[in-house]
Amino acid sequence: MAEPMEDDAFKAELTSLVPHLRAFARSLCHDATLADDLAQDAMLKAWKARSSFQPGTNMKAWAFTILRNLFYSEKRRSWRRQPLDPEVAEATLVSNDHPSGHMELLALRNALSQLADDQREALILVGAGGLAYEEVAEICGCAVGTIKSRVSRARKAVVEILETNQAGYNSDDDMQAENVFDDLMDQVAELTKPG
Amino acid sequence: MTNCKPPKTADRADEKSRQDKIGDQLRKLYDDVASEPVPDEFLRLLEDADEPNAEEGSGDS
Repeated sequence: MAEPMEDDAFKAELTSLVPHLRAFARSLCHDATLADDLAQDAMLKAWKARSSFQPGTNMKAWAFTILRNLFYSEKRRSWRRQPLDPEVAEATLVSNDHPSGHMELLALRNALSQLADDQREALILVGAGGLAYEEVAEICGCAVGTIKSRVSRARKAVVEILETNQAGYNSDDDMQAENVFDDLMDQVAELTKPG
Repeated sequence: MTNCKPPKTADRADEKSRQDKIGDQLRKLYDDVASEPVPDEFLRLLEDADEPNAEEGSGDS
């Protein structure tokens, strides 16, 4: 078994991964502050577990595993209990009325938040995390085939959610502008009903 | 209201370009965070972790 890394070298490499830890944490938690809390907790845990890291192996995958396990095991922690923020919910309604890139990203974030945890993490890790299927499977503690099917289901679900929220705003529709507005106002009224 | 179903190849092409777009947006969501400058608290975290009493006062709530 190889010698554990020097502390300084380990620190340097872990620090270089912080942007990724923050990005992955943000995909698991909806709130940026809570995501950073999770990322910091994961960093500390990784530091304390540094002797178990095999030098030369993928530290990103190793750190992601720690972060992910922390997320799931710490059920009582606040970064698990985040409701969807109103800005994101609203953006989904207007995303096709004003199809700017920003709105579309918010709509995607909304769709992601509606996915099951295991589908969302598989989709993020495979689609954006820069990791191979095998690495993602290891991080998530399951078979490669399972990851592939989670990604596939997640993709289908995202499309469906985005399209459901777009119902009536399809460019092929003959819907007049004022009908779109009325429809939108109805949805807002529905959402803002007390209780 | 349109009644005619589009041909299957168009469906698949549509699906693929939709998925490609979602993939791009996923990466943008992720990269947007990953490209942020690292907040100071992260950089201090490991420095403080060196201290013998790092476990205390770690903000556990």
